[in-house]
Amino acid sequence: MNASDIVIQLDGKEPAEGPIVGRSRSYEPGEILSGQYTIDATSLGGKELSAVEVSVLWYSEGKGDEDLDVHEFWRKSTDDGDFIDPMRPERFSTTLPRSPLSYDGLIVKIRWCVRVRAFVGRREIVAELGFQLGNVPPPEEVEQ
Amino acid sequence: MRRYRGGETVLPRGLRFYPKKRGDRRTGSGRWGRLGEALFFTVFLAAGIGFLALVVITLLVPLWRLNNDFAETSCRVLDKRISEEPGEDGTLYRPELEIEYQVKGRTYRVWAYDIPPTHSSGRDDKQATLDSFIIHNDQNNQLYPCWYDPLEPKTVALVRGYGWMPLMALIPLVFIIVGGGGLIYTVLHWGKSAEHKAAAGLSSRETFPNIPDDSNITNSPGTTLDFRLPMATSPGWALFGVLMACLFWNGIVSVFVAIAVNSHLEGNPEWFLTIFITPFVLVGIGLVFLFIRQLLITTGVGPTLVEISGHPLHPGDHCDLFLSQSGRLSVNSIAVSLVCEEEATYRQGTDTRTESREVRRVELYRREGFEIHRGLPFEAECELDIPADAMHSLKADHNEINWQIVVDGDIAGWPDYSRSFPVVIRPASDGGQA
Repeated sequence: MNASDIVIQLDGKEPAEGPIVGRSRSYEPGEILSGQYTIDATSLGGKELSAVEVSVLWYSEGKGDEDLDVHEFWRKSTDDGDFIDPMRPERFSTTLPRSPLSYDGLIVKIRWCVRVRAFVGRREIVAELGFQLGNVPPPEEVEQ
Repeated sequence: MRRYRGGETVLPRGLRFYPKKRGDRRTGSGRWGRLGEALFFTVFLAAGIGFLALVVITLLVPLWRLNNDFAETSCRVLDKRISEEPGEDGTLYRPELEIEYQVKGRTYRVWAYDIPPTHSSGRDDKQATLDSFIIHNDQNNQLYPCWYDPLEPKTVALVRGYGWMPLMALIPLVFIIVGGGGLIYTVLHWGKSAEHKAAAGLSSRETFPNIPDDSNITNSPGTTLDFRLPMATSPGWALFGVLMACLFWNGIVSVFVAIAVNSHLEGNPEWFLTIFITPFVLVGIGLVFLFIRQLLITTGVGPTLVEISGHPLHPGDHCDLFLSQSGRLSVNSIAVSLVCEEEATYRQGTDTRTESREVRRVELYRREGFEIHRGLPFEAECELDIPADAMHSLKADHNEINWQIVVDGDIAGWPDYSRSFPVVIRPASDGGQA
């Protein structure tokens, strides 16, 4: 099993060319982001899917050490008595926050994504789908 | 499905054996990292437990038995001496007395004083202790109290009490708390993803996550406009910082300069040392010039005040600024600008470095060629238009976006100066950027 065996789909909007992550869906703060994910059951190779986590989060890229902040987080785990059916698409929905907005700075970059992490045996498979929050254009370096 | 909401920024991973690259920095798989953390804290905990056991067995138990189990009797002092043993910072001393006492009809003669035997610095104290005991002879039959171990009567002490030694147990306790706490944290988070850890323990969400608080900016009312903006770094503190750096650097370098100069004066020049310290001396001279420059700015340029008609700011906002510059100055130019800087903090080896990059500068006001007279500050008002496409202020653990009003002064015959006044820009109030 690998990341391509997890498919994340967002509702409604079609991907458009944006200033941050190229062709991606763009949302405004306060807008509802919803969608679903599916896991290719045939790729599990008979191993048990013990837990699935879905996060709507932002992380930093660029020169600095990585910052990561989870806006919303869902977890299903067989240890907690949850029934996980990889054949069935699972839906998620959240109201997006007012900040931080997606940003493609010179040394500070803010990326938003929906991340699905599947725990199969002792392995963790991660897939993520980026989206853009807000519409801040990238800056230009100021000549000193 | 359990659902969590939250808003704390975390660096999600610990030690990494197999790093992967994200942006300019490296992050990586946490499995080996968590194992390393667990091992580190286990060693810390084990060392603490071992050390505590040693303290309990060799120190606390003997002390407790001396004060609770030992039987009292009386003894005669036959001789006295000061025992010496080498220590890290010189010789350590302990008073010792040869005493004679009887237990159940049997006479014991031993060298003793305290339990456990403790050597410490300060010979005079020990001599004074010995002087307080009188050796038994025909004219003197002074008896002193002593306490012996009923299980081993040869074990005896002339003083009781606990003193400061039980405090030694605090040292291993620190190891146990750090190691145990770290191990519990690691075990509780074992197998948890970075997202799960970031979401755990978070219950509330701020209205504007990761945007700095502006209470420090709006807590000082202005005399002309609504708020007087605080300066990022006051000139006095900047001068103090440069002075400390100058003294520290040149203090160390001066020792080597003195050695090199002496070698030349004595006709036996240390050429390697002379060449080696030359660049350090040049840096020291540079720091002296920097200090003089900062001193001139601090003493020669009077206070700069900036007031603003509204705060916090949003993209597309329009408000007024008021500038007041005191001093007795012949000004070539003074400019007020709105400046945005990105700031990134990262670890490089054992160092933590911070890099900043100016990404936007909008000049709001400029005036050239005028005089400022003492007691009559220069005052000006200008308009502040926040660019409609401005990124909002950001504050995370390692990444920041800072907006500030910057006043740049070019003074005739005096060093140029620059003073910054932070402001906070929030996302547009309608929820998005214009």
